[in-house]
Amino acid sequence: MSDALLTVDHLNVGFATKAGIVQAATDITFEIYPGEVLAVVGESGSGKSVTALALMRLHPDNTIVTGDVRFEGRDLLNMSDREMRATRGNDIAMIFQDPMTAMNPVFAVGDQIVETIRVHDSSVSKQEAWTKSVDLLKLVGVPEPKQRASQYPHEYSGGMRQRAMIAMAIANDPKLLIADEPTTALDVTVQAQVMEVLNEVQAETGSAMMLITHDLGLVAGSADRVQVMYASRLMETGTIDQIFYESQNPYTMALLDSIPDLDGLKEQLEPIPGNPPSLLNPPSGCAFRPRCAFAADVCAAEVPVRVRVGDQHESRCARTHELETLVGVTS
Amino acid sequence: MCVTVSQNLVLVYTSTDRSVATLFAYVTRRVLISVPLLVIAMYLVHVGVSATVDPRSDFYLCLPRCQEGFDSITETYALDTNIFLRPFTYFASLFSGDGLGFSSSVGEPVGEVMRTRGWNTAMVAIPAFLLGAILSLLLSVYSARRQYSFGDYFFTSLSFIGFAMPSFVLALIIQVIFGVKLEEWFGIKPFNTGRKTGENFWELLRDITLPAVSLAILGIAADSRFGRSSMLETLNQDYIRTARAKGLTERTVVWKHALRNGLIPLVTLWALGFSALLSGSVVTESIFSWPGIGQTFLRALGDSDLDLLMAIVMFTGVLTVVFNLIADVLYGVLDPRIRLG
Amino acid sequence: MATEFEIDSQTDEMLETTMELGIADVEGLSEKPKTFGQLARERFFGHKLAIVGGIGLILLVALFWLGPMLSEWEFDERNVADRLLGPSAEHWFGTDEIGRDLFVRTAKGGLYSMRIGLIAAVVATVTGTAFGALAGFFGGVWDGIVSNLVNLVLTVPAIIVLSVFANKFGASAIGLALVLAGLLWTRIARVVRGVVLSIKEQEYIMAARAAGASNSRIMFRHLLPNIVGAIAVEVTLLIGTVIVLESTLSFLGLGVKPPNASLGTLVADAKGDIDSDPIRVLTPGIFIILIVLCVNFLGDGLRDALDPRAKGSDSSEAKNAKKAAKKARKQLGKQGPGYIAGARTDRSSIGKI
Repeated sequence: MSDALLTVDHLNVGFATKAGIVQAATDITFEIYPGEVLAVVGESGSGKSVTALALMRLHPDNTIVTGDVRFEGRDLLNMSDREMRATRGNDIAMIFQDPMTAMNPVFAVGDQIVETIRVHDSSVSKQEAWTKSVDLLKLVGVPEPKQRASQYPHEYSGGMRQRAMIAMAIANDPKLLIADEPTTALDVTVQAQVMEVLNEVQAETGSAMMLITHDLGLVAGSADRVQVMYASRLMETGTIDQIFYESQNPYTMALLDSIPDLDGLKEQLEPIPGNPPSLLNPPSGCAFRPRCAFAADVCAAEVPVRVRVGDQHESRCARTHELETLVGVTS
Repeated sequence: MCVTVSQNLVLVYTSTDRSVATLFAYVTRRVLISVPLLVIAMYLVHVGVSATVDPRSDFYLCLPRCQEGFDSITETYALDTNIFLRPFTYFASLFSGDGLGFSSSVGEPVGEVMRTRGWNTAMVAIPAFLLGAILSLLLSVYSARRQYSFGDYFFTSLSFIGFAMPSFVLALIIQVIFGVKLEEWFGIKPFNTGRKTGENFWELLRDITLPAVSLAILGIAADSRFGRSSMLETLNQDYIRTARAKGLTERTVVWKHALRNGLIPLVTLWALGFSALLSGSVVTESIFSWPGIGQTFLRALGDSDLDLLMAIVMFTGVLTVVFNLIADVLYGVLDPRIRLG
Repeated sequence: MATEFEIDSQTDEMLETTMELGIADVEGLSEKPKTFGQLARERFFGHKLAIVGGIGLILLVALFWLGPMLSEWEFDERNVADRLLGPSAEHWFGTDEIGRDLFVRTAKGGLYSMRIGLIAAVVATVTGTAFGALAGFFGGVWDGIVSNLVNLVLTVPAIIVLSVFANKFGASAIGLALVLAGLLWTRIARVVRGVVLSIKEQEYIMAARAAGASNSRIMFRHLLPNIVGAIAVEVTLLIGTVIVLESTLSFLGLGVKPPNASLGTLVADAKGDIDSDPIRVLTPGIFIILIVLCVNFLGDGLRDALDPRAKGSDSSEAKNAKKAAKKARKQLGKQGPGYIAGARTDRSSIGKI
């Protein structure tokens, strides 16, 4: 625990709205270790992006964040604004989902990378920073980086833009990279390329990565550990093998059942019936209960606690120990 | 803040030669489109003014007695020519060096009148423009950052009233307070509300303050509403979040990233609003007895002074087209998506 | 499911969150979605300013219309002996320099201004809609011509152009109204063109075409309802603009001329005595402000009612969310250490300088 890069303890994020407080992330507890890739998986609205934004203190007005978040031992949520600014883009960097809207349209791409460099190290001259930004663009695979650096975001293609965003994020060798759905806004053919760049970059710089996605396929190719979120809570965490092959959580299992298997081992795709619950008026007990194949009375009584089911493997399910017998052989 | 503003300007131009070349091409394109527009505008202006202003209006009652006077005016203004052909004779004589004609209401050549009065108007209008631009910018940023604060509500209310207030009412209120009441209550008269008096700089300043402020205020109300919503929209964009995520100070985020985008529509509004200053001048000059183009325009209208009127309205037409052009060009300069589109 | 619900700021995640959550109607948290008309009406009447504006306008019209009937004086009745009196029980607003009762003149002047405003608005709307629809629907050359014309007219110095025409045609109410409409139709045209352009591209038009609908059918069944919503706001605001312009022209001596009177001419009449009797000068002006304010409030309410997102972050939804946040802030604190983004008491860097 003490050598973790990032520890998140009982993080809660709520939005104040006309109708009350919408709890978008509830009781989130996890760690990220140096150099590892943690994938955070869940449907839209499960709270995964919300968690990430809370770490960077990027939430808009009237967001209520409580909990204990420590990065290299420092208290992220309560540190001064100046310290936070020094951390952002420097120790912790974030890559957003839509690169078109995430870059300022009126500044050249190179200038935006230069800005990242110089705000954290004012001793770097403009010339040096520009050279470095060209190098970074080359590193992430942007063709003709020297010309491209002078161009504007709208002159890049979607994949190139995301590469440029990655370049901007790694400019200061961050210890933690948060990638929020980095490929969702891209064409399928481009997605693989960008993920490749991301993986390479992460491996080379040795930074840890928090990969947020709803695409289990991406997870399989990149992650060391996985945590699954549903309706603002963590459902299951474990190593990639544990999650994919030894899942002890009905939601995870249902997710796995619902995706196609390119090896052709599945005979039928099983979509999860029903809809995600209202975060304003959640059902009592386990949030997944209305859609769960294994729901029982014990599930309605109260929200299940997280239970250790293996080394580094935890699941939030009231019936987690019974699941093996209920399911038979897990696929 | 001045540093970041100048940084912005530098950023615009230091990218590459390529960028300047495309800018030049863009500007040329807009200029070429404006030329035919200008020609059409001037033609329409001439026909329009000729159709509505008749310098012989006083003479109809005294015919046939004053036939001579009637005929001489008809000749001077070529009133026998077909109205749709007259613009050509007008411009022909203009370019052949005959000038803009003679003003019957002022008693001087039109060119002379335009020059002296025009300068007077500029003396009030340009400070009004600068004041308006700076204040509306500051107000826009302030209101957007402090949305729903007391200050924001206060200024929003003020601008509501500003939208409902005709400029002459505002000017009269200002005149009452600063011209009449201030003297009455406090015995001081810091600003002049009469004609243009002083020859030295400070007197001049006292003279132009009230009309300039009066001219500027309503524009500020309108522009700041617009700027506020533009800034609000900009501040909600994803790239602002990215800028924060990079570790930039809030100051840099607002004054560099947000303003640079939010300003674009505002700046074009200023360019277009410049010609509105001329409209406003008609009213303020009338109320503050300022001898500018506006006041002259009213007099010329009353006297059916065709040459002067024609010149003034032509001038406003030209100004309109020119400022539309400037607004277009500015848009291209500020937003690379437009010029590289 | 209605998703009018929108929290103060718009990160994709949040919007996604609320949409995914199936929050149908936050007011009563009921599951039954409301029709557009119901929601619009709700928003309109929840818009306090609009109600104030509406009531104000009714009161003003009542005052202007019924007032003179209750007064014993006529519009043009002169009693030179009683000139320049201040307000009294006999002459509620006092008298002018030739002894005419000012209240009756102000009231009738107000009505005259309003009448011109309405006529001009109607003419401008019809013309503007026609041209705007033409430009938007047929595009190409037509759009080019109309758009350039509109842009030019919109940016021309209004008073100068209007003055020239008002001097000749402005003596009658209709004449003046037509002159004003001749300039202001462009505002309507711009809005209509925008609406038509945006709808033209939408898929349900293509679907209708694919089903074989003719051009005119498309125009009437699909475009018209949307246009009405957009123009309603613009027309309301236009009336205010007309009144302001008309009173300015009348003040300058153009436009309305004796024996007619409008609020603008009344100000001009009183201007000479501004040193001794500033109130008489400003009173008609105040009425102009009141009329236009009420009209603008109505327009604002309409805009909020018909398209709450049109004003961006300024809609009543956003404001309510802000208020709710304040309330929630008070209840908070029990969850443990943390912060509230944007609040004055927190340590977040968001929202501060």
